[in-house]
Amino acid sequence: MSDAPLIKVNGLRKSFGKLEVLRGISFEVKRGEVLAIIGPSGSGKSTLLRCLNFLEEYQMGEVEFDGALVGYQRGKAGRMKLDSDRNIGRIRARMGMVFQSFNLFPHKTVLENVMEGPLVVQGVPRAEAEGRARTLLARVGLIDKIGAYPARLSGGQQQRAAIARALAMQPAAMLFDEPTSALDPELVGEVLEVMQSLAAEGMTMVVVTHEMGFARQVADRVMMMDHGEIVELAPPAQIFGAPESPRTAEFLRRVLH
Amino acid sequence: MDYIWQWNQIWDYRQVFVRGAQATLVLTCWALLIGLVLGLVLGLMRSARVAVLRLPAAVYIDIFRATPILVQLVWIYYALPILSGVQMGNVTSAAVGIGLHSAAYFAEIFRAGIASIDKGQSDAAKSLGMGYGQAMRRIILPQAVRRMVPPFINEFATLMKLTTLGSVLAVNELLHEAENLINNTYRPLETYTVVAVLFGVMIYPFIWLSQRLELRWKTRG
Ligand SMILES: Nc1ncnc2c1ncn2[C@@H]1O[C@H](COP(=O)(O)OP(=O)(O)OP(=O)(O)O)[C@@H](O)[C@H]1O
Ligand SMILES: [Mg+2]
Repeated sequence: MSDAPLIKVNGLRKSFGKLEVLRGISFEVKRGEVLAIIGPSGSGKSTLLRCLNFLEEYQMGEVEFDGALVGYQRGKAGRMKLDSDRNIGRIRARMGMVFQSFNLFPHKTVLENVMEGPLVVQGVPRAEAEGRARTLLARVGLIDKIGAYPARLSGGQQQRAAIARALAMQPAAMLFDEPTSALDPELVGEVLEVMQSLAAEGMTMVVVTHEMGFARQVADRVMMMDHGEIVELAPPAQIFGAPESPRTAEFLRRVLH
Repeated sequence: MDYIWQWNQIWDYRQVFVRGAQATLVLTCWALLIGLVLGLVLGLMRSARVAVLRLPAAVYIDIFRATPILVQLVWIYYALPILSGVQMGNVTSAAVGIGLHSAAYFAEIFRAGIASIDKGQSDAAKSLGMGYGQAMRRIILPQAVRRMVPPFINEFATLMKLTTLGSVLAVNELLHEAENLINNTYRPLETYTVVAVLFGVMIYPFIWLSQRLELRWKTRG
């Protein structure tokens, strides 16, 4: 059972109107694996990530999470039917998501931000939710900012709070969409450190990133995307050492110099 | 400037103003209640993803914004009974008419407020597993309400002033009482001055409150 992949994507296609953004994507993420997704701007990385927890609807193919179809139900005669809000919410709650622009709730304090999910979605008692939140905030180094509103935090602090907010749901996997791209260079390290420690603990992670150092050192496998397709999916040693695809080599040449 | 103000007569009739102001407030409350509740529903419909909800709301809003309220009031009082057989009293007609009219404007305030919240907020709420209702109640509306307060107070002030149109349906609100009074006293200048001051006194506190709230929320960020 636990050998089965946690995330399974099969023949995924997605268009915005006439623009086909994902053109048949298939891959799997094993439990405890860290998958980094790299590729040029506009190649569909964010869209793919958002399809995993159904923030974007997709038109063809399947996404499975822990054996359950995400977003759709198989109806009679194999026809796909949009799943209920409730079921979609249930699956989303098991995947934490971290956004490039943090998206903390500005009208709530840091502590309230982290308590919100357990309190509202899981119905956890307030005291327990607060305990969970405090533990996580201590872990990401924000225990002294508990009562602050997000606007008072630096970008790095906001992103660490956002990671804690996602972790408070005790998710089975974490999705990161360029979590450090909006940060000043000197604040990138503190966020990567938190992510690295998560990976070390065995969290299943899918990370869209421009941080090639992170992809090389932390990821188990790296997926190179271009024009809505997977160009290459391999361990970092291959991607960064001896890429099979000339497109990967060309992309890396551009970002690494 | 040799007009001689005569206030003693006005003072003798102070009960008339009190009565009129009370009627104005009652009319305001009912119209506000109707306008707010219907406005919220229409505003949410207008923000919905499905056209079945969006379109009727859009049509309603456009109709009520594109026609004069005076026509709407008279229509509800005189035409509706003929068409539907339902005859409402003049106060009820005025409250319903002003309420239905304001609902179109409140709906636009709600819609614009909801639309002004960054999409990342609903993304974050959804990614935690919140449903549409939870995300609205806990995340979107609390933020949107802050942006709605200034236009909301503005519309509220407009609504209270619109209640003077009740006089067309012979509702004894402040302006109508004042006009009756003028027929007895022949003191239009004094009477209208008092009416203006009373409206100012009833409306200004809300404008003041709105400015205070805005300031407080701005400093908190
Ligand atoms: N909501 C949307 N509506 C229409 N087109 C969209 C939408 N979101 C993304 N796209 C388009 O889909 C394509 C892929 O976008 P996506 O954001 O997935 O790329 P990306 O690989 O994440 O790029 P970046 O590195 O710049 O973040 C782009 O051409 C983009 O313009
Ligand atoms: Mg992106």
